[in-house]
Amino acid sequence: MKEKNSGQIFAAAQQIGKSLFLPIAVLPFAGILLGIGSSFTNETTIATYGLSGILHQGTALYGFMLMLANAGNAIFGNLALIFALAVAMGMAKKEKGVAVMSAGIFYIVMLVTINSLLVLDRSIVDGVVSETVKEGAITSMLGIQTLQMGVFGGIIAGLAAAMLCNRFYKIQLPTALSFFAGTRFVPIASMACAILTGAFLYVVWPVIQNGIFALGALVQASGYFGTFVYGCIERALIPFGLHHIFYLPFWHTGVGGTVLIDGATVMGAQNIFFAELASPNTIKFSIDACRFLTGKYPFMMGGLPGAALAMYATAKPEKKKEVGSLLFSVGLTSFLTGITEPIEFTFLFLAPALFGVHVVLAGLAFMTCHILGICVGTTFSDGLIDLILYGVLPGQAKSNWMMLIPVLLVYFVLYFIIFRFFIVKWDLKTPGREAEGETAHLVSKDEYRKATGVGIAGGKTSDTKFDEKSAAILKGVGGTANLVDIDCCATRLRLTLVDSKKVNQAILKSTGASGVVVKGAGIQVIYGPSVTIVKSNFEEFVDQVRSGTIPEASFMDAEEAPETEGPETEGPAAETRTNSDAPAAGEDMKSSVLGAHMNGMVVPLGEVQDEAFASGALGDGVAIEPSEGKLFAPADGVIETVFDTKHAVGMTTDDGTELLLHIGIDTVKLGGKHFETHISPKQRVKKGDLLVSFDMDAIKTEGYPCITPMIVCNTDDYQAVEAIADGEIKAGQDVLSVH
Amino acid sequence: MKSFEYTITDEVGIHARPAGLLVKEVKKYDSVINVTKDGKSAEAKKLMALMGLGVKQGDTVTVSVEGGDEEAVAAKIEEFFKNNL
Repeated sequence: MKEKNSGQIFAAAQQIGKSLFLPIAVLPFAGILLGIGSSFTNETTIATYGLSGILHQGTALYGFMLMLANAGNAIFGNLALIFALAVAMGMAKKEKGVAVMSAGIFYIVMLVTINSLLVLDRSIVDGVVSETVKEGAITSMLGIQTLQMGVFGGIIAGLAAAMLCNRFYKIQLPTALSFFAGTRFVPIASMACAILTGAFLYVVWPVIQNGIFALGALVQASGYFGTFVYGCIERALIPFGLHHIFYLPFWHTGVGGTVLIDGATVMGAQNIFFAELASPNTIKFSIDACRFLTGKYPFMMGGLPGAALAMYATAKPEKKKEVGSLLFSVGLTSFLTGITEPIEFTFLFLAPALFGVHVVLAGLAFMTCHILGICVGTTFSDGLIDLILYGVLPGQAKSNWMMLIPVLLVYFVLYFIIFRFFIVKWDLKTPGREAEGETAHLVSKDEYRKATGVGIAGGKTSDTKFDEKSAAILKGVGGTANLVDIDCCATRLRLTLVDSKKVNQAILKSTGASGVVVKGAGIQVIYGPSVTIVKSNFEEFVDQVRSGTIPEASFMDAEEAPETEGPETEGPAAETRTNSDAPAAGEDMKSSVLGAHMNGMVVPLGEVQDEAFASGALGDGVAIEPSEGKLFAPADGVIETVFDTKHAVGMTTDDGTELLLHIGIDTVKLGGKHFETHISPKQRVKKGDLLVSFDMDAIKTEGYPCITPMIVCNTDDYQAVEAIADGEIKAGQDVLSVH
Repeated sequence: MKSFEYTITDEVGIHARPAGLLVKEVKKYDSVINVTKDGKSAEAKKLMALMGLGVKQGDTVTVSVEGGDEEAVAAKIEEFFKNNL
């Protein structure tokens, strides 16, 4: 039982990881903009390299760099929100759009709730964070001052919204409130839950933050091992956004050391480094500051690109090209700018254990740099740009940056080997290794079952029996082939159809509709405020029919429904349509309009001078007295039979209508004389293709009429077969309607 | 399965009118009814497939009936063939 639970958690974590691929795809680009922009707008950097002539506030170049930095930063600064939306989209089973919007609502409301409570307890006074609050504990997200929760807050919001959506998207409420039922209930539930969640986090999160703050003090007290622990903790906290509260004290407060430089007291590792960088008196950067700065270079420039290469190497051969660009860019981003979220998030949720390995290696990287006395500073992250600015340019004597190169190479190889090993061993679904075949298919089927089991009109319907109301609606509008789009407004189900003539209003009204409005290709079926549930059920049902889970014939032809359990009917509709050997139950009875099969005069079938045709014994249809000895295909389809005597052709149209085109009366007795066929059995034809040409005069001379009936052999499968033209007609013009 | 052989006497064979009548007749029954001529088989409920066999006067066809009441159905269909084909 426990194993099953952990399996489910693992599956859910994998799903979250996959959901995050979408936002992760934008991070490399954002990272490069941020990396370049922020390096060249950092005042210390500008001053150090004497660029202030062209780069200072007010110059166009500075403005441009600032714009790049801000554009990139907008993504990273709002990553939590973006993750909230992406997780909701990935985790919602149905109505994903509703889930995404609800996640946005959830996240904002959650933040505002926390903010309100922080104001209430005077942690924030008049928009200013109180001095009693630890640095980094409160941050501004979307302009709301709230607890720093990093992307963790967004993931909570996304998961909650998706869960609420999966649970409630088909909820039914009492009639008075039914406007708020179904999908409209999801954002409402999200708001309510967000308030509760915000209040809960307000209580719980500071406790976690305090614990981490205490850890910082411990690290400072111990030497190389302390550096190792610092590195591990900093990396381990990344997913929770807690790394800021952890490292900021080291970077900007006395926890990270206090040094007197050029007569000024400087506190915090990063502040110390930049004071030393700016000072002309520095001989070597102090290692006591850099032990908290330099350690990220090995795994950001060496390790993670190695991990990206390992993922590429283990991707399926056919997927390599596709994932290559993603992995290359995330690897390159890490190398150039030290932005690691793109690659870290590709394996963090897929394989938390692998992230654990990464954490330990990160700790070792910090310790190694500490031991080797490498002092390369950083503005915000450790990539090539920072290495050049704060390692190479200050000079080997000050930074000892050259020692970093062998460390980078070792890390590259180490990560490649370790990641490759674990990806293969645990069969991790890193990009390019997603299961496409059986597993994915089984999951989706299972989800379908669950979805149908949970939901239809309050969970009464079992998965063996489909939703009859939806089936009736679909039948009433002429099947999936006639259905283009499904939508609804406050009270009406709005459907866009191929042909609104195929609508059967009686069937639609039998589904509980109070009215049906037909306008052009669209119809509106009026159900009242409960329409959102009708719509959700109907959409789901149509999906199932289109995916083949429910055979369309099983409800389109009610009489034969019991027979449709057989395997023959499960094939794709297109196949059954053109396969004349398929049982009648497998046929898909679509409405259609057939073109005239000849040039000439339309004659009602009842007036044909042959009892077999006129009586309708063979089926209903229409006849044409030809003005020219040519028979054309009335629709796209497949030729079924060409009689030896060449005077008749059987075909099945793509819409499933079985047609017999019979030239003349009793002409079978001519034995093929005066006829020439241009097609052969099983051949595909297009509407208007020439099928048979014949010598009208010769046939008439031998005493046979040339009148040519077009008979719908499977008339019984339709409600009506009726001629829709009379008088003179040209081949191809609408002549017969079947529905 | 129950089957019988029959030699067509109708002058046009299993074509238009007689074929239509045959389809009407067999559609009354739930059994699966097939008409076979020279190894080619067609479901008797399908007009087009049936006519596609191109059965002419003098041809011998095998009619097979498979279903719950195949005995009775076969007898009725045989009688139909004798009266109409």
